[in-house]
Amino acid sequence: MGVQGCMSSLPFPQLLRQLPAGVATLEGPELRFGFVNEAMQALVGPEAEGRRIAEHPGSLPTALLDVLTQVHATGEPYVAKACLCTPTPGAAPPDCRYFDLALEPYRDEQGQVAGLLLLALDVSEQEATRQQAHELALVTRRLDARLRVLTETVPLITYTHDAQGRCTYASPQWYRFTGQPPTADLTAIWPLLIHPDDRLRVLYEADTARRTGAGWNYEYRLRRYDGQYRWLLSRALPEVHPPDPPVYWHGALTEVHDQRELAEVLRRGEAELRFLADSIPELIWTATAEGFIEYYNRYTAEYSGLSKDELGPTGWVSLLHPSEQADAARRWVQCVASGEAYEGEFRMRRHDGSYRWHIIRARQLADGLALRWFGTCTDVHDQNLLRQVLQTQYDELARAHHDLDTFVYAASHDLRQPALNLRGLFDELQRTATFADPEQALLLEMVDGALTQFDTTLHDLAVTVQTQRAQQDPVEVLDLGLILEEVLLGLRPQAQAREAQLDIDVAEAPGLVYGRANLRSVVHNLVSNALKFAHPDRPPHIALRSYYTPAGEPVLEVRDNGLGMTLADPNNPVFQLFVRQHTHIEGTGVGLYLVQRIVHSHGGHVRVASTLGEGTTFTIYWTQPA
Amino acid sequence: MKHIVYISRAVHPLSDAELAHLLTQCRRDNERHGITGILFYSHGNIAQLFEGEPLIADTLFERIARDGRHSHVQKLIDRPIASRSFAQWSMAFHPIAPQGFATLQGFFLPHHAPALPDTLSIADTLLVNLVRLAVFGPDPTQPYQQDFTSRPGH
Repeated sequence: MGVQGCMSSLPFPQLLRQLPAGVATLEGPELRFGFVNEAMQALVGPEAEGRRIAEHPGSLPTALLDVLTQVHATGEPYVAKACLCTPTPGAAPPDCRYFDLALEPYRDEQGQVAGLLLLALDVSEQEATRQQAHELALVTRRLDARLRVLTETVPLITYTHDAQGRCTYASPQWYRFTGQPPTADLTAIWPLLIHPDDRLRVLYEADTARRTGAGWNYEYRLRRYDGQYRWLLSRALPEVHPPDPPVYWHGALTEVHDQRELAEVLRRGEAELRFLADSIPELIWTATAEGFIEYYNRYTAEYSGLSKDELGPTGWVSLLHPSEQADAARRWVQCVASGEAYEGEFRMRRHDGSYRWHIIRARQLADGLALRWFGTCTDVHDQNLLRQVLQTQYDELARAHHDLDTFVYAASHDLRQPALNLRGLFDELQRTATFADPEQALLLEMVDGALTQFDTTLHDLAVTVQTQRAQQDPVEVLDLGLILEEVLLGLRPQAQAREAQLDIDVAEAPGLVYGRANLRSVVHNLVSNALKFAHPDRPPHIALRSYYTPAGEPVLEVRDNGLGMTLADPNNPVFQLFVRQHTHIEGTGVGLYLVQRIVHSHGGHVRVASTLGEGTTFTIYWTQPA
Repeated sequence: MKHIVYISRAVHPLSDAELAHLLTQCRRDNERHGITGILFYSHGNIAQLFEGEPLIADTLFERIARDGRHSHVQKLIDRPIASRSFAQWSMAFHPIAPQGFATLQGFFLPHHAPALPDTLSIADTLLVNLVRLAVFGPDPTQPYQQDFTSRPGH
């Protein structure tokens, strides 16, 4: 109060009173409030003057009260920064304010501590700012940590370049990819790892982007730790803070090697296929699943003289001969509806208006992708012409052959009668005439032999022609045993003359589906041959056996113990008309030729096994092996 | 005179009411502009052949291509023709409730549409048959046979 009293006449106390900082004096050892200015009153209440601070602390923190007596006793000043002052304990933040509190002892004339000067400076704003800054720092740290974890986790390589082109950051993936040590000088080494063919382009593009303040997006090959160059996609954007020019470029590298290789392979494959299709001198096209043609090869345009647009999705049908268009169109719709392959032979119009025969084929490709049709039109015009010529020639030959057969038959038939007459006359001559020649008997015998051979030859020729005609005979199930008996019965005179023994065994395969006349002819020829070529030292023994091969083919085996013969190839014997094995025995050389013709014409074949002087076995495989 | 054929996909399946509305509206507009032809619709698949004077047909196709009710518009053919093949403009589709549609002018059930006229070339007949197949799918009774009568001297 004394202070107040002595200073009240001055303008200074007035200033002090209105000072924005709180000022108060605490007087005497009891520390009663003396002067309390307006700002301090807000803190300790308007009626604080004259009261002890310990009993009337107002909003001052209790921590301050604890040091008051100590400061008074020692005379050491005390400062507390940013103390929280709450009007009532636990009050909400708007009422809380922060103060820098200072206690300054003041002394009397004797130098004794007379009281304390309490200063309170409101620092709430600064404190709030500081706290905000702190929280911001925490958030920033968290974001930074997240960014770091993310950039180091993703498979991409991330990097930062500055405006001078220096590389200031590369994520650990870069070091793992390149195999460079963490101490590597990024700016220096990076360009050296780029494929020499790409290096200049990359440096130029990055430089241009930096100069213009733009981002970049390009692909290049970077050397991997194992020395392989791999394709990478590099994309970067500038970090912009307008109006300043960008200072940093942040970007990522993605490995696109496999995609690029695959795309390259696909592109090359597609180009090659197209080239192939365009090089083939055939009409080639592809169509959508709906049947609309979307591609014609180059040859189609050359052949038809029409472009893809002129032909359109169904224009191919208008190239066909008008009489074939409807059928071709109908079949195409059916194939598209059912997915069946398309095939047909049509005449197609060439650019010069002539029609040429083509085989049109199309098949559906159903892979994982969309379904498509692939078609070709093959020119078979020349083949067709050739076929027509061949057919005409074949018809002519067949006619000539038939005429020849008829002639041979007629000739042999017509010659038989004169031959018979000759025989009759000769017999008559032999009976009535006498000859003075001592070689008469020999000559007569020779004429008789010649006449007999003449007659046999004529007979065999007629049979050959007849057999050829009989090949169209209807086939039926034949009782093999019965027919063999019949045939052997017809040969009984010869068999008896030679005292032959004949065995028949058809128990294994008693039936056969064959032409009756043909079967008889085969058996007759084989058995009569066996009788004819019997060995002079022993009576003939001929065994006929019918059985099935393991594959189920019916077989007839005719085995004899006769003269035997020499064969070039027993599995594929060749018997020619009028070619004879044993010239000393009479015959015409027709028999085996006939047998083989009959058997071959039914799809079967003949095998022969023979040993000279021991015997021959003929095996007849009647049918075509399955 | 020219004709245009296209196929497309409806953005969402059309209801009976929408189809009936489309039919009456298009018939009215097309009649006024001298457009004839046929539209096929089934399960969101659309195909149309229309014929008319070149300028009108081109304008109509431009409007159709911009129409937001369908997408994937694919023009298959756009050619001058000697004469019309269709006497009117009609639609063929499967209504969910067919009772009310029998009386509508220009409506056909898909496989009851009249046979295509001889004035269409076989290539164009084939094209219309293929778009019909693409829209409606294969018909077990195979009605396509009727359209391809052989035309010697065509």
